[in-house]
Amino acid sequence: MSILFILIVIIAAVFLWFVATYNKLIRLIEAVNNNNKQIDIQLDRRFKVFESLINVVKSYMDYEKTTLKDVVALRNQAQQAQAAGDQQQRIAAENEISKIASNINLVFEQYPDLKANQNALQLQEEIVNTENKLAYAKQAYNDSIEQYNATKKSFFEAMVVNLAKDKLDKNFVYWNLPEEQIAAKEAYTVKL
Amino acid sequence: MSHVASSFTAKPTDWRAQLRRNQARTRWVIIVFILIYLALGLLIDTYLYSNTYYNANLSTIFIALITLQLTPKATLITGAIALISLFITYSCYDKIMLLGTNYREITPETAQSITEKQLYNVIEELKIAAGLSYMPKVYIIEADYMNAFASGYSEKSAMVAITSGLIAKLDRSELQAVMAHELSHIRHGDIKLTLMASVLSNILLIAVDLLFYTAVFSRDRRRSGNNGLVMVIIVLRYLLPVVTVLMTLYLSRTREYMADAGCVELMRDNVPLAKALLKIQQDYSDNAEHYNQEYSQTAHEDVRRAAYLYDPAQCGLQSAQSLATLFSTHPDIKDRLAALGVKDNRE
Repeated sequence: MSILFILIVIIAAVFLWFVATYNKLIRLIEAVNNNNKQIDIQLDRRFKVFESLINVVKSYMDYEKTTLKDVVALRNQAQQAQAAGDQQQRIAAENEISKIASNINLVFEQYPDLKANQNALQLQEEIVNTENKLAYAKQAYNDSIEQYNATKKSFFEAMVVNLAKDKLDKNFVYWNLPEEQIAAKEAYTVKL
Repeated sequence: MSHVASSFTAKPTDWRAQLRRNQARTRWVIIVFILIYLALGLLIDTYLYSNTYYNANLSTIFIALITLQLTPKATLITGAIALISLFITYSCYDKIMLLGTNYREITPETAQSITEKQLYNVIEELKIAAGLSYMPKVYIIEADYMNAFASGYSEKSAMVAITSGLIAKLDRSELQAVMAHELSHIRHGDIKLTLMASVLSNILLIAVDLLFYTAVFSRDRRRSGNNGLVMVIIVLRYLLPVVTVLMTLYLSRTREYMADAGCVELMRDNVPLAKALLKIQQDYSDNAEHYNQEYSQTAHEDVRRAAYLYDPAQCGLQSAQSLATLFSTHPDIKDRLAALGVKDNRE
């Protein structure tokens, strides 16, 4: 009788632990999904900010006309890649837009009267803000993948994952730069 | 401020290990706290029942209480009082925290200058990095001294406040580091925790005081079996305040280290926070007299003391005269820098 009772208690405890672990993993997966969408939100926001920004600065330099075209073209490229499910292509296009952002900031430095302009200062803050938000969104996305992967591969949790593989076993790709870009960035030095 | 920037060397830090270590410390403090609470409740119960059943010896009463043959009334009552006072403090905490200061809220619509907009932007960026679901309320306190704090009992009701002196003197990345520290307090649930510790320790002290006076003034009617118990109560009356103060300080220091580690986690860089801390310290020693005056003119400064980024008492500003001023709520700047992996080269 008492052995049966103890057995029931143990089984109940194991079951509860199983449910808790299952729920925890689901929560982690959804956090990754949400953080992934957060990157999209920030990319979308950046596109809108840059579009209006370049329109404002346009009067100062004709250089910007082609820049705006470039941004729009890259944006289309990124959206097509996303629709086709090509993550690498998309990341490459979005990274190109990031380069244009730092170019705009360089242009600001070259025009003293533009730099002193109150509106221009606001725009510069807006660029920094936009790029930071995007970078932090990527960081948060990678952090949530790290947390999920670490939990998934941990000793006891791995057994739960094995029992419900289709629901709990996801393969998320860390947001990273393609190999050739890393090489190019590593070789980069500032020329003064 | 270039002399500040060149006065330290930074190493990469392991913020994950820092967080883990401090999490474990916090858990121990909480467990000890609950044990003390239970023990005191049971002590009061034992004392009260020993007056009723004066034939029974103390250990029999104690065992009867633990096995619930006697209702541990005092334990239940102190527990209920603790819960009620916690609820009250949680529900009006943000108002309590801003008491006495000259403050205003910042939103994207009401930002009056680029700096204010920048402050809001910085916090919004970190909110994304921290993965918080709610944007905390942002307040600016009109004051020359450099300080900041976070408050609120949950992510939803969270707020950060920052003095105008701090905004004026820090650059964007340093401001971001300070805000990352404050947001980490919110993320780690520190506000709730330190608040809980201070409320509980206050109730604990009141309870032990009551017990002490009851025991001392009813001594003429005491039973022989009570003697040992009264001695225990007298010792506790003087020991417990010291123990609770040390425990809450240990707790708040641990949480400061955690918030520093959390800042590095969000920024992936330990230099901005180190620069900000050094700048603040330098600024306090430059303007000690002025700030001392300003702090003492602000009412209710002691409610914010544990929550502040930088403890004003640490640089000789004695605004709150209490037992707690003897020990700082914050670790020494040098220790904080060391935990950040930064070595101060100035001495």
